[in-house]
Amino acid sequence: MNVTLMLRAARGRALPRLTGQFRSPTWVLYETLLPLLGTTAFVFVYRALGAPDRFVSYVIMGGAAVAFWMNVLWMMAAQFYWEKRTGNLDVFMVSPCGLTPILLGMSAGGIVATLLRAAAVVAIGTLVFHASFDLSRLPAVVGVFTLSLVALYGLGATLASLFLYWGRESWHVASLFVEPVVLASGVYFPVHALGFGVGLAASVVPLTLALDALRQLLIGPAHPALLSLPVEVTGLAGLAVAYVALARFALTRMERLARREGRLSRRY
Amino acid sequence: MATTVQRSLRAGFWLGWKIESNWADPLLFLIYSVIRPLGSALILVVMFFAVSGGRRGPLLDFFVVGSAFWPLVLAGLQGLVTAVLEDRELWRMTRSVYTSPISWPTFLIGRTLAATLSAGFGGVVVILLTGRLFLGVPLTLSPGDIGLLAAVVAAGLAAILALGMLTVAGALMAASDAWHLPEAISASLYLVAGAVFPVALLPAPLQAVARALPLTWWLEALRRLLLPAGARLSFPSASDGTVLALLGVTTAAAVAAATVAFRLAERRARRLGLLDRDSGF
Repeated sequence: MNVTLMLRAARGRALPRLTGQFRSPTWVLYETLLPLLGTTAFVFVYRALGAPDRFVSYVIMGGAAVAFWMNVLWMMAAQFYWEKRTGNLDVFMVSPCGLTPILLGMSAGGIVATLLRAAAVVAIGTLVFHASFDLSRLPAVVGVFTLSLVALYGLGATLASLFLYWGRESWHVASLFVEPVVLASGVYFPVHALGFGVGLAASVVPLTLALDALRQLLIGPAHPALLSLPVEVTGLAGLAVAYVALARFALTRMERLARREGRLSRRY
Repeated sequence: MATTVQRSLRAGFWLGWKIESNWADPLLFLIYSVIRPLGSALILVVMFFAVSGGRRGPLLDFFVVGSAFWPLVLAGLQGLVTAVLEDRELWRMTRSVYTSPISWPTFLIGRTLAATLSAGFGGVVVILLTGRLFLGVPLTLSPGDIGLLAAVVAAGLAAILALGMLTVAGALMAASDAWHLPEAISASLYLVAGAVFPVALLPAPLQAVARALPLTWWLEALRRLLLPAGARLSFPSASDGTVLALLGVTTAAAVAAATVAFRLAERRARRLGLLDRDSGF
């Protein structure tokens, strides 16, 4: 594929997500405030339980992680379903760039937009609830975070290709991935609390290893880790490679299948 | 008049049921209906055990009852607003429904009741059973209280629909932000209504808001009915009679406010041509 064309298409798809941030300030308010409301409720739950301070840090990190997970689910995985409904998918399909740069642009735009919201959740949560984080290993935090994003958005791209084929079911499947994944990945508590086996099984979702690794770095030895940091980072790297490759494979396959069965232009 | 209400309710319910359930076979739909609420409840349960180190405690019972009934709020409140927005912007059928010989608000309530039944009640039963059988939550209900429980659940549904109608009134007046309203309102209610932690933990101004909400008294009444004496409550010093009276008063106030707000919003939307507006989101 022509690399310049691919980059231009990716930039074109990322642009609406970036400009949208500033075009509708109320959306920023909603999308920062909403995760914060849920986060606040869980902080009060831990206060009711008389939990140690580090649990508040878990919740704040969880609130930021949920913002990314929601973005992956609704703005990546389910995006082609929305595009079908609005009629944009046909336009993407007849454009000379193909769907891969579209996914790349969606990811890039989504990451930047969500980063702003997640940062707001962490900043406000830290200020209001006095969550504390150990920032002595910041370069490692940035590295693990970046790796996590690649794995997470790789999963999003894989799911997007499946949802390209599905119709109304995709909305329900995406809904189904909210609470159960938040539970299994230990978004609001250390995943270790679910037991080693469950935690390991849940590691198929990059959110699990990402959060646990970041908690090891930001909370320190008080955090009961699922696996050692090097093992978790290796696992995340493996997931990143696997999901990006799987997305590439699944996209081609599902697009062919959807074309053959006439599902690409079916709106509902 | 009674026939119109009945017909509107039945048509709305039938359509709502089809939209909610016909995308999957019944077994898959049943699993889908209970997995999400069960997941939400188990998040709280694991949070509890992560702190307590595996020991039970009264707050666990508080969590289980609150999270068992919360799916009704989500289904009712979000279902009502989503029905209006989807009819308007996705299915583009508001004009057809509005001009047909049925009552629009009653039709919407019918649609929402279907969503509540399909997405909410399964979750209630499964979470309460899970709490009783696997977590040792001492759920008790004397036969004499079954009628009272039914009345409390009915009052709660009325309150949920009233809050939903108030949100619909807001959505009819908002532009693209309308899609965010149901989630914003339900998330705010989750925080202040004593769904998962006692209201006494909130800052004083939010406690005042909580006391004005029918959902707070609904959840308090449900905990008093389903949990034994001495259970953790949001308002331990209030008597059962006071809680029921406040549930009745706040629900009636919410229904009255919703009726007025909906009528005003509908009239305004009609005057400005907003009823079938496509916001493009």
